[in-house]
Amino acid sequence: MKRYLKTLGLSLAVTSLLVACSEPPEIAAKVAKRPDVAPYMGANDGFMTKGWTPGNQASWTESTDKRTQGQNEYSRVK
Amino acid sequence: MARMKFICDTERCIECNGCVTACKNENEVPWGVNRRRVVTVNDGIIGQEKSISVACMHCSDAPCMAVCPVDCFYRTDEGVVLHDKDICIGCGYCSFACPFGAPQFLSKGAFGTRSKMDKCTFCSGGPEANGSVAEFEKYGRNRLAEGKLPLCAEMCSTKALIGGDGDVIAGIFNQRVATREKNGKYPGSKAFGWTTAYGGPDAPAPTPTPAAKIPGAK
Repeated sequence: MKRYLKTLGLSLAVTSLLVACSEPPEIAAKVAKRPDVAPYMGANDGFMTKGWTPGNQASWTESTDKRTQGQNEYSRVK
Repeated sequence: MARMKFICDTERCIECNGCVTACKNENEVPWGVNRRRVVTVNDGIIGQEKSISVACMHCSDAPCMAVCPVDCFYRTDEGVVLHDKDICIGCGYCSFACPFGAPQFLSKGAFGTRSKMDKCTFCSGGPEANGSVAEFEKYGRNRLAEGKLPLCAEMCSTKALIGGDGDVIAGIFNQRVATREKNGKYPGSKAFGWTTAYGGPDAPAPTPTPAAKIPGAK
């Protein structure tokens, strides 16, 4: 009986020692990507150009394409 | 759907660095970081010196996105490659992967410590709210959301650098190249002039002007 208790105590000691040596999981929580707001939604910062409606993608695309043509001197100077 | 792109016309770029200055000023890019720069080749060789303005090309299959270990990059519906600085760990992998040297890092402090990555955003900010102070401080101005285009392209004095929807700017460039061909410059070059802009085996080498014919040249 005494020997049994001794073995049991030793086992418990070894088990607790091993538990103490174990490592908790160290996987960092994945940072979720935040959804970006589309540019056609507008900026509301007081610097918006006129001639298009924020929230209307077709309107923004048309306005931007028109503005892009401002870089074309063949269309600016006729 | 718009696919935003830049084109730099080497026949027009005069290495004024106006685009570099405009970018730094508009986005308040810190000292030591250049989102855009002008690269000149054949420096000093008459007739062969070419300059090109380079920044993030917003690749359709961006290598920076592929190598990022924390997956901080994303591509918008407009084809602009952006990143989230709250996720970036500043490892520099994107810098090694990018063929244009677009990703920039602010070196500060001892032991070469780096900041989080900074690069051209096509003036379209980042994942913060459009036009917010937080977006400006992290990524710069969001001109696209204001209905504008990147300032570097819009203020280019010779219109060497043009930016906007890929189809539209390709049309502008096509018209330009066609006019050049009509006027006898590089006859026989490809219709779109890509080889003229970016070089290539089919591009005829420009004939250097002899120094004797240039006033003041030695």
